[in-house]
Amino acid sequence: MFNSSGYIFRETFNSMRRNPWLSLASVITVMVSLVILGYSIFFLANTANMAKSFESELEIGAFVQMSYTPEEVQDLKSQIEQMPGVESVSLVTKEQALEDFGKTIGGTQSSIVADVGGTNPFPDKLTVKVTDPQNVKTLAQSLETNPGLYKVRYGQEFVDQLLKFTQWLRWIGFGVVAAFGAAAVVLISINVKINVFSRRKEIQIMKLVGASNGFIRWPFLIEGLALGLVGGTLAAIIVGVGYNWITVYVQSTLTFLPVVQNQVLFRQVTLGLLLAGMAMGAIGSVFSLQKFLRA
Amino acid sequence: MIQLTNVSKIYSNGARALVDVNLKIGKGNFVFLVGPSGAGKSTLIKLLYREEIPTRGQVQINSRNLVRMKEREVPYLRRSIGVIFQDFKLLPNKTVFENVAFALEVIGVPKREVRSRTLATIDLVGLKAKEKAYPHELSGGEQQRVCVARAIINNPALLVADEPTGNLDPDTAWDIMDLLYEINKRGTTVVMATHARAIVNKMQKRVIAIENGRVARDEEQGGYGYDV
Repeated sequence: MFNSSGYIFRETFNSMRRNPWLSLASVITVMVSLVILGYSIFFLANTANMAKSFESELEIGAFVQMSYTPEEVQDLKSQIEQMPGVESVSLVTKEQALEDFGKTIGGTQSSIVADVGGTNPFPDKLTVKVTDPQNVKTLAQSLETNPGLYKVRYGQEFVDQLLKFTQWLRWIGFGVVAAFGAAAVVLISINVKINVFSRRKEIQIMKLVGASNGFIRWPFLIEGLALGLVGGTLAAIIVGVGYNWITVYVQSTLTFLPVVQNQVLFRQVTLGLLLAGMAMGAIGSVFSLQKFLRA
Repeated sequence: MIQLTNVSKIYSNGARALVDVNLKIGKGNFVFLVGPSGAGKSTLIKLLYREEIPTRGQVQINSRNLVRMKEREVPYLRRSIGVIFQDFKLLPNKTVFENVAFALEVIGVPKREVRSRTLATIDLVGLKAKEKAYPHELSGGEQQRVCVARAIINNPALLVADEPTGNLDPDTAWDIMDLLYEINKRGTTVVMATHARAIVNKMQKRVIAIENGRVARDEEQGGYGYDV
């Protein structure tokens, strides 16, 4: 096999030179599918991130019975803190609520209390943060049964819809990646088939004079690898530069949107595109050849 | 050297190409396969270099069983068999030298050896002056010589030819036959399917006639036998 390496590389190069348009088509197919794949991955990462950041802002507001003393409120607070799925509980006492309200409308505490009939109208409020947004609903329902609380708010419909929406975003993201990944593999294997077909006479003679299947495969394999690598490199450049540009643009115009800027993910995706291109080319070549080499 | 035992070949479309054929061809023989088109000559040739496998029966070459042979052993069988075609099957974008050298390169022969053996074989078939020419620059006879050179460069024990003179004018055909005769004299067994009556009658070699997939006649020093 070492004696033949010269032949194999010469053939690979010759083939690309003989069929420049076919090679170009292969490279472009790999590139386009991998660009889409790359953006899909970033899209997926961003939707996941967006869903997570919306979800993490979800919290439960629980209002304590007016009759509770400050000690009882503290007991209730620590009791809720012990519940499974609770990350933290913060307390806004009725006095604080009154003070905040006074600040916003510009009156003094005593004047407000007098205005509303002599007693502080605000309840003590516990703000509950949950460890997993998926648990907001069940936790809120169990809080509702607590006798110390007379009202529990968690924006039930908003939570349900947001969770549904983020779930959908995830599925759509996965679907886009899967569909384009499959399309890329099919397109590449078609390209390689055309390539093999255009050299069927050569393959026929190689088989006739006793070249081993492994030997016949090598130039196609290397050609597939090379074309895939070129396509993957172009895709990595386009995806990398394009994503940076989009990130900068989004951050300067739509500042409220959280954009993933994970250098590790970035490197993994670009390197992954290179490897995926090579793998696609090589696997496509081998699969397409398999049928020709039998019989 | 070649032994066919109760060989039948039925193609997947139901065509019965060969029916219960028994044949023995000895080492160094020169054998003509004759018979009408579609009688099964080409199928028999293809069985010899294992392009096809018989539906029933056994094919043996040098005591190697071609039916039981594993797929990965086939390349090594082919290295001991040269094949010549009516349509030459040369690679159009390679020169004469490259076409012949191809047969050595693809089985991993070292480069220096490729060069010397290729030049010697091209010389043997009388194409020394055309070494750098491309197939389209050659006459039919010259192209067939390239095909012969490619077939014999590995010193095969067996040379099979499927109508090698079918595309050539009579004079050129005789040049090719002289070449095959020379190769046979050097010890290579030659099996040739042909319609060339004059050649078969003149050469006085063994003639096997195939009709409707069966051996209809098998004569030492026979003639073509089909009257116009």
